[in-house]
Amino acid sequence: MKIAVISCIHGNYEALNEVLLDIDRHQVEQIYCLGDLVGYGPYPNAVVEMIRSLDIPTCQGCWDEDVVEGLNACECSYPSLLAEKRGRLAHEWTNQEIHPETRSFLAQLPLSLRDGNLCFVHGSPHSQHEYMLPDMHAFTAMERVLATGADTLFCGHTHIPYVRQLESGQLQVRVSSGQSSQRPNQQTSNFSAPLKRIVNAGSVGEPRHGRTNATYVLYDAETEQVTLREVEYDYQKTCAAIVEKGLPSIFAWRLARGLEFAERADDPTHVCER
Amino acid sequence: MQTFPLTLVAGPPGAGKTTWIRQQLDGAERFAYLNLGADAVRIDATYLAAEVPELVVWSSWLPELADFTKYQTYIELDFHIDLGSLVLPTEFADCHRVAVLPPGIRQTEWHDWADVIVTGTETRVPLQPPQLWRSLLTGQVLDFASLTTVWDELINGAYGHVQRAKGIFEVTDGRSLYFDFVAGDPEPTSTELDLPRWLEGRPNRFSGVEVVGEQLDETAIAQTLKDCCLDDRTLAYYQQQVREFLEDG
Amino acid sequence: MVIWAILSGIEGNLAAYEAVLADIKRQRQPVEELYILGDIIAATPASANVIQRIRSPRDHEPEPQVCRGWWEEQLLILHGSGRTGEPTELIEYYGAEQVKALWDAIPRSTVNWIQSLDFGFFELDCLLIHGSTVSVSDELTPNTPPIQMLDRLMRMDANYLFCGRSGLTFQYEIQQGSITSSVTTLDHTAPPQATLVKPRQVIGVGNVGRIPGQATYTLYNPYANQVEFRTVRYGPRKGFQSI
Repeated sequence: MKIAVISCIHGNYEALNEVLLDIDRHQVEQIYCLGDLVGYGPYPNAVVEMIRSLDIPTCQGCWDEDVVEGLNACECSYPSLLAEKRGRLAHEWTNQEIHPETRSFLAQLPLSLRDGNLCFVHGSPHSQHEYMLPDMHAFTAMERVLATGADTLFCGHTHIPYVRQLESGQLQVRVSSGQSSQRPNQQTSNFSAPLKRIVNAGSVGEPRHGRTNATYVLYDAETEQVTLREVEYDYQKTCAAIVEKGLPSIFAWRLARGLEFAERADDPTHVCER
Repeated sequence: MQTFPLTLVAGPPGAGKTTWIRQQLDGAERFAYLNLGADAVRIDATYLAAEVPELVVWSSWLPELADFTKYQTYIELDFHIDLGSLVLPTEFADCHRVAVLPPGIRQTEWHDWADVIVTGTETRVPLQPPQLWRSLLTGQVLDFASLTTVWDELINGAYGHVQRAKGIFEVTDGRSLYFDFVAGDPEPTSTELDLPRWLEGRPNRFSGVEVVGEQLDETAIAQTLKDCCLDDRTLAYYQQQVREFLEDG
Repeated sequence: MVIWAILSGIEGNLAAYEAVLADIKRQRQPVEELYILGDIIAATPASANVIQRIRSPRDHEPEPQVCRGWWEEQLLILHGSGRTGEPTELIEYYGAEQVKALWDAIPRSTVNWIQSLDFGFFELDCLLIHGSTVSVSDELTPNTPPIQMLDRLMRMDANYLFCGRSGLTFQYEIQQGSITSSVTTLDHTAPPQATLVKPRQVIGVGNVGRIPGQATYTLYNPYANQVEFRTVRYGPRKGFQSI
């Protein structure tokens, strides 16, 4: 069985449409979506309506959560004052723009999805806001996969697609327990981790890999092969709509350069305690 | 008539006027500098003063004529000052005139005006007079990550075609930074000025920005810079953190 | 020589806390720092006395450094300043009637002090915290999977993590480890890379007040990296009381 995984559409209807056409050409049996349907881009309602009408199983992203729950991101999750101000502008605009049915669709999205030995989340299994970057410490990455019980973890949120294979993991531990350190009950054991994979689906609507193309992934369950796809779309149309709909024109400028609308947090594993 | 050891320096934006003056100051004594036309936005003067501590900087047309006998003085003429209509005291009539021009240009009013032509940096001399936007930022403190984002956007054309941009900015950790960009220069520079860290309240020293270009969206530049600035509470918080960090470290 | 005493879970048991303080005073190496990793209160009126005692150390007693525990978090939730809105964990573990008991037990005048407590301390290469880097409720035990332990240590890049949620005394050493990782992006494939793990450990510091008559806590020498678990018996059954 072949599946397609898409993520981080951010109201970019043009990009979503082109990606769905590309998926059509690959005889895919199931599409999964990792959230962030809205935020920054000009067509949040159209994107949600498309996902809803195609019945694509979707988990909730941080932007979807913020639109439902009210802005919840703390200032520490923004890398700069400027990114925070822009994030707030995008949030307020989206909040005004979306229809009640869009909001209620986003509200009922689950945090994770399961399909056999595959698990799907937006950021990480622990938080929608956590960035699993390709250079995350390999053991931390392994912990995230093991926390789900799956063999392959699909995530998004970073907007740069990658496949990471983790293997030959082993840890040696010694545990002493008991009431007194004079007579410890000591035990040494070895732990080995099975082969696991993390697949980041990139971003349909807000690419950050340095080009303007939308990205997503294909996965073949039989061969376990992952294909990173890059799809051209008419980003000028989205840029024009951003300006036309009254979103800050700097978003259009950044989108046209594959720069993402706002920078990413400096400390990617940081999760707000608030 | 008395003569004065005076040099007037003119040229298009980004050609390297300040850089050339900076080179003349090395190893010498009793120099003074005056920038004509920069008004309150004293980026070049602040930069030179930080680089050459012995330099005397006249921030406006205040010196007495007698002062000009005491120093070897460089007067930098801002590009938008019309050389033809520039009226100087008659005592300055035989001063030294230097034009710093990009390589390869000929037959400009600078050629007619100057005694000496210095070849500076490659920069496009616009056909029409370019747009000039300046903003005094004294007292404002920017968050460094925001500053680098907006500067990057600015010099890459997010707010119109920028030919020349320079600025002195105060950042959260108390440093004063000098940013310098000329279109076509592969390496835009930014350096830390050799000034003490300002870690108590709003800095009471010059900072500001100047952008020269075409079709500049001045409102957007001003608003974006404003969005990078810290409010009083945040500024006090970070200044305390930096003070504690420096004391510990 | 510097010795730290690290304890957790007084849970409103003043006699147990006094017994531990007395044991600390009896140490040959003087104890310089006293860390209390939360759960100083429980849903009992006696908790107010413990707060009082902690806030007024006597002469020659180290000034206690206290961080927030699970019970303190539950109280702050009731007062609308916790990290969640509802005391779901309190009801789940202790029943709904404990909500009122906890509310009644702790004087409003001390809530501000409790709210001012740190979430944990980072000293040298040691993290001292009630639960873990994840939350006050995160319970680390000798049976926690090693990868989870490693994750909790690496979240704050601590070599030593002292915690008290389980109430157990244990020393969980990650002695060594390695893993191989390879990454493929749109633009290139990086060859497999091995990552090694340096030794780190998690230490359960015990529990002072939960079991009547028996308190456990931990002494630590941060320069020699020596851990010693102490068990203190107290109360009428042992024939002496250290108050």
